[in-house]
Amino acid sequence: MAEHTKIIAVTRFDPERDDAPRSQEYEVPVQEDWKVLEALNYIKDHLDPTLSHRWSCRMAVCGSCGMNVNGEPKLTCREPLSNYGERVEVAPLANFPVVRDLVVELEGFLEKLGALKPWIMLAKQRAPEEGATRQSPAELADFKQFSMCINCMLCYAACPVVANEPDFLGPAALATAHRYNLDSRDEGAAQRAEIMRGEGGVFSCSYANECAEVCPKNVDPAGAIQQAKLANVLSWARSFVVRRRAAS
Amino acid sequence: MAPPRPPDRFPAGPRYRSYLLFGMGSALMLPLGFELLCALWALASGDAAWREFQAGLRHPLRIAGHAVAGVWLTWVALRFFRLFPKTQPFRLGPFRRPPDWLLVGGLYGVFAAASLALGLWLAGRIGGLG
Repeated sequence: MAEHTKIIAVTRFDPERDDAPRSQEYEVPVQEDWKVLEALNYIKDHLDPTLSHRWSCRMAVCGSCGMNVNGEPKLTCREPLSNYGERVEVAPLANFPVVRDLVVELEGFLEKLGALKPWIMLAKQRAPEEGATRQSPAELADFKQFSMCINCMLCYAACPVVANEPDFLGPAALATAHRYNLDSRDEGAAQRAEIMRGEGGVFSCSYANECAEVCPKNVDPAGAIQQAKLANVLSWARSFVVRRRAAS
Repeated sequence: MAPPRPPDRFPAGPRYRSYLLFGMGSALMLPLGFELLCALWALASGDAAWREFQAGLRHPLRIAGHAVAGVWLTWVALRFFRLFPKTQPFRLGPFRRPPDWLLVGGLYGVFAAASLALGLWLAGRIGGLG
């Protein structure tokens, strides 16, 4: 396999020594078919064992290796180095606090995701003898696209609203909540509605569409959020009519 | 921990520029809305006030402003057409959502027909402007 060198400029940050992140360059002998992650692993294995970065599956499934590559959020395990020139800049994902080097803090996201109750909620617990809950292929198709999210956080790193409104629940969390609202087995939409309509909910999204542009799994969180806006407006209007009818 | 930094290409990246341009259009909507209110006020104030309002529209600055607003509104419409299909639910009642090309084609069709009708009306070919 042909080999040549590229300069990989990596953002470094050691919270015990650095006041702010800095850039450090490495000359890496790369192969034509390498992904960005392989260059980072080469640096870690052969040039600088102090480099910290997250990765796991190497096949765009685990969502661990999201980073900014030349300013654009990418999954480094599927981003070919050949897409870039002789100098490639790798930085931690934007819009997240940096723990160390390329590792970002995800606690804030996990709290937001948890608040939206991203699991199937039933109004009444089913007894085992009732058997499995059935779902048709058509019902599955209603939400399947939104269930493909791998929580890689590229959408958060690209979103200008996340950058300006720290309380915004964000693309992946809202898309996941909408995915459960669309699931024919779920009965928890009313419980999610308050937080989805509230401060930092779906109506904070100004539809920049950046999340959809960078999503590596074609989940299209922007589409999910706009659909959730419409669904929330309709359910709000419906509840208003139902309340008035009940009152009269 | 180091604090978060904003997206690297914000606001200079091409996609962000398009988004910002879309948002900044509200600065055009404000004077246009005010002008519409002035038009309604002039209409309600009699012939002389209406003629004075119409004369004001011939000022070069007003014409330039309307030209910019026309271009911007067209661009906003085209951006909306591109982003519209995926905002619609997958299911409309018992029916699956129509294919994207049909939704976008329908929007372009209505846009073209409305533009043609408005152009003909302004040229005095239809309606009572002639």
